[in-house]
Amino acid sequence: MWLGHKRQIAAGAPIDSDYAVVAEGLTKKFGKFVAVDHISFKVKRGDIFGFLGPNGAGKSTTIRMLCGLFSPTEGSARVGGFDIATQPDEIKSRIGYMSQRFSLYEDLTVEQNINFYGGIYGLEGSRLEERKRWAIGMAGLTGKESMLAHALSGGWRQRLALGCAILHEPPILFLDEPTGGVDPVSRRKFWDLIYDLSHRGVTVFVTTHYMDEAEHCNTIGLIYNGRLIALGSPTELKHSLDRYSVFEVQCTHPIDAMEMLQTQEWTTETSIFGSAFHISTLNLPDGEKIIQKLLKKEKIAVSRIEKIIPSLEDVFIHRIAEEDSRHTGVLH
Amino acid sequence: MRNILHIIRKEFLQLRQDRKMFGISFIAPVLQLIILGYAATFDVSHIPTVVCDFDNSPSSRELLRSFTSTGYFTIVGYFDKTSELDHQLDDGHASIAIVIPRGFEKKIGAGQSAPLQVLADGTETSTAGIGLSYASIIVSQYSQNILLESMVKRGSATLPARVSAEFRVWYNPELKSRNFMVPGVLGLLLMVMTMLLTSLAIVKEKELGTLEQLVVTPIKPYQLIIGKLAPFFMIGVIDVMLVVFFASLIFSLPVKGGVLLLLLLSLIFLMTTLGLGLFISTISRTQQQAMMTAIFFFMLPMMFFAGFVFPIENMPTIIQYVSYIIPLRYYFIIVRGLFLKGVGLNILWPQATALLIFGSIILSMSVMRFQKRLG
Amino acid sequence: MTMIPLNILPIVRKEFRQIKRDKRILSVLLFVPALMLLMFGYALNFDVKHTSMAVYDEDRTSVSRKFIEQFFISEYFNKVQTLNSKAEINGLLDGEHARVVLVVPSTFTKDIQRGGAASIQVIVDGANSNAAATVLGYINAIVQQYSVKVMTESFIRMGRQTMTMPIDFQPRVWYNPELESAKFLVPGLIAFILMVTAVISTALAIVRERELGTMEQLMVSPIRPLELILGKTIPYTIISLFATVAILFLGYLLFDVSIKGSILLLSLVTFVFLVGSLGMGLLISTLVETQQLAFMIAVFVSMLPTFILSGFVFPIRNMPYIIQVITYVLPARYFLVVLRAIILKGAGLSAFWDQALILVIYAVIMIGISSLRMRKILA
Repeated sequence: MWLGHKRQIAAGAPIDSDYAVVAEGLTKKFGKFVAVDHISFKVKRGDIFGFLGPNGAGKSTTIRMLCGLFSPTEGSARVGGFDIATQPDEIKSRIGYMSQRFSLYEDLTVEQNINFYGGIYGLEGSRLEERKRWAIGMAGLTGKESMLAHALSGGWRQRLALGCAILHEPPILFLDEPTGGVDPVSRRKFWDLIYDLSHRGVTVFVTTHYMDEAEHCNTIGLIYNGRLIALGSPTELKHSLDRYSVFEVQCTHPIDAMEMLQTQEWTTETSIFGSAFHISTLNLPDGEKIIQKLLKKEKIAVSRIEKIIPSLEDVFIHRIAEEDSRHTGVLH
Repeated sequence: MRNILHIIRKEFLQLRQDRKMFGISFIAPVLQLIILGYAATFDVSHIPTVVCDFDNSPSSRELLRSFTSTGYFTIVGYFDKTSELDHQLDDGHASIAIVIPRGFEKKIGAGQSAPLQVLADGTETSTAGIGLSYASIIVSQYSQNILLESMVKRGSATLPARVSAEFRVWYNPELKSRNFMVPGVLGLLLMVMTMLLTSLAIVKEKELGTLEQLVVTPIKPYQLIIGKLAPFFMIGVIDVMLVVFFASLIFSLPVKGGVLLLLLLSLIFLMTTLGLGLFISTISRTQQQAMMTAIFFFMLPMMFFAGFVFPIENMPTIIQYVSYIIPLRYYFIIVRGLFLKGVGLNILWPQATALLIFGSIILSMSVMRFQKRLG
Repeated sequence: MTMIPLNILPIVRKEFRQIKRDKRILSVLLFVPALMLLMFGYALNFDVKHTSMAVYDEDRTSVSRKFIEQFFISEYFNKVQTLNSKAEINGLLDGEHARVVLVVPSTFTKDIQRGGAASIQVIVDGANSNAAATVLGYINAIVQQYSVKVMTESFIRMGRQTMTMPIDFQPRVWYNPELESAKFLVPGLIAFILMVTAVISTALAIVRERELGTMEQLMVSPIRPLELILGKTIPYTIISLFATVAILFLGYLLFDVSIKGSILLLSLVTFVFLVGSLGMGLLISTLVETQQLAFMIAVFVSMLPTFILSGFVFPIRNMPYIIQVITYVLPARYFLVVLRAIILKGAGLSAFWDQALILVIYAVIMIGISSLRMRKILA
């Protein structure tokens, strides 16, 4: 059983005992620039919560506020029942954090880094040894203990950083783009670890811009320009596009096809998808035939067209477009 | 409390990794001490002098001898044209030129006044000033002797009244400027070393990103600060001991006031420099910024205004007031007092107190600035 | 290798942009040199004036009082205390409440009146030997003057005519008649400020990119080592030249340091010196892996040595021979000679061509070695 977790339940009665993280109108301004714009959400204990969004959307800023690194300009949030503005110290001993950029000491060895952070989190003696062995094993760094962190490659580094973040078995884990620049195999392994932690009752708060990783989360928050533009489980989000029909089209001149189809009044979105493209339309019965006929007129041959369940990416693109049009007042 | 030890251990591990850093922290101060200690001298002796002796008489030669016998002047050339003297001064081959006109001896014998020209190269003001000063002493002595001699020769029973001064030099009887400079160099070195190290201490972690990971942990600000400063404290203390050792060895400069007292007061001084360095670290975003701030806004003013070479009494009043907030000023007084005068805490307590107050203030300011937040 | 023209413009532009972004660094490079000249120029001199003097008058007659007054007419001494006993002397000097103590013995007036040799005692705090030696000189001069007066009066009483001093001492000072130490210090100050600013500005230029990881990007680009070095040197040179103009202008304005010699020559030599010193900073930057170390080396190589060994404050001639040899390695030493020659003496190239040549060699060597090191790093 996750010891830290047990300890937390026993200590006093934190508010929102069902929710590990509660944010209400969280806002962060840097001068005039609004990085995070009144975000509100709740994360259930034991959930994997994914914060999805393009670069610069405000993901890192939000996570840093939740960890007590930034103070919010407006709004509030509670982590593990403690207020981030007034009780940051209580939060810090109960969370683990992995930053976007590798922030362990490059001029210390793997083992020295673990010893250091273990010590800071209050681990010592046999407990430290036990956790150290676990972290090294988990990260696949057995035999590499005396290697300088500097010499590790990307994948190992991330795992070492993760190991250091959970040495003290925190009930809540914040991971900021943990798989950035890591090869797909390592990424898979990483997510196996996250699943494992989640099964043990750890709440995991992840930010990412990889769509496929978002599918692994229990709940997803879509963040764009500092605003939360969608919130829900992956299934919920996909179904939110139910009133649209989405088709995947494989043809000879996708760009030209997209441009041409954009002019139709029932088209809402088109987006490139590998060598094919997706087009979402207002409910269009027999859409396949209509589209194929239109493209044939333009001498574009269609090799495949089918109606698909919208992917998260489709949802995302939709929401972003909606958000944009709301701001520029341009409809298409 | 444990956290402080963790930080200290980490700092030492990192230091050990950087062999060059380690070496420089200890070798550089000693090396600098030796070179600078030898170099920082005002002692003016053997001033290269050139002469045009147009009289070439026993009197003129005697006059010249009275110059060289003091050891302050060394004649490097005799010339028969004053334009030659100009060249020598111009090129910097000599600092002083003496011109003895024809008829020197005759005039003196006739009881008249014989002119004597002494030219000095004014670009090196201290040499020129002291050189002329010595020259005037020598000449007036010579003059007076001639007068008295002539009176004795004429058979006067009574000699006129005259006044002379008997000089006693305390603390540094041989007037070796080294004795004054070496303690000063010690203070300077210590200040530079420790401020240098600490001003980058926290910014480095900020710049590399490791500070973020640290701030997210439950460590308290004061623990982080003490942990970071402790290794530099130790390095500073070792540096003091090294310098004292070599100073007494090579310059025969023992610490008259006691090494223990020196160590104690140096520790208090270290508090201020480490505190200043730390403060700089908290107001800078990058290491480059920290470095420039440390050097141009702190170290250089301290080098110039704390009384190392340039006497504070000569400075405009405003700057004299400014010097009161420069910790190095007090340390210079302490270090010179201990090395040269052998005074004790009974004399130095004002300086020690000033340093304590300064140190506490700057350290608290730094701790306050270092809230555990990034923004 | 094909002779493709040097492509340094992109690097120059990037460096300028980076410098502009960091306002603090830009202001340091542009304004601080002039600011320092301002501060230091006013504050620093060796003139030994207003020395604190205490007096112990055992004689206490009008004669002794008049004698003591002689010391305080000019601005050389300040009377800080009149002592009542010899015992107070120790504490006074120990605590630095006075630097000189004048003791007039009780037999002073008597000795003079009966035509004998009167002697006073002067106790000097020798800690600052330079000041002490100068003070001794002043005191001696005053005593001598008084002695001549006493002698003359004595002669008159003895029925003789006024006596003439055998030697008419005519001291003259060249180039700096008032012996204002400012004239001596300002060129040195300029050399010092330029050297330190130059080395420090570039000392982190390269190692910073290594430490932060942006060096990799450069390694992948087709840039050549020499291009990188020159590209980094040029922006700083330009900025430093502005700073130099500011400094010289200020020096002329506030300290009457007018350039007697050729301004063109001065600019050329300064340019060469700057390139060399910036190159030295870059060289340091290529030799180490952490900014901390670069900082340390830069400071130890430029600040203290230039301050003490370049002839700025302490005349090189007075240093032990071995040390003098060491000073040959310092570029600031040569630059200072040239500066003083042009500014104070108005000399032409013939007077210092050898120093100027050394500066050119120095610049070439620095840039050259930096480029070589850069080649290793980029490879």
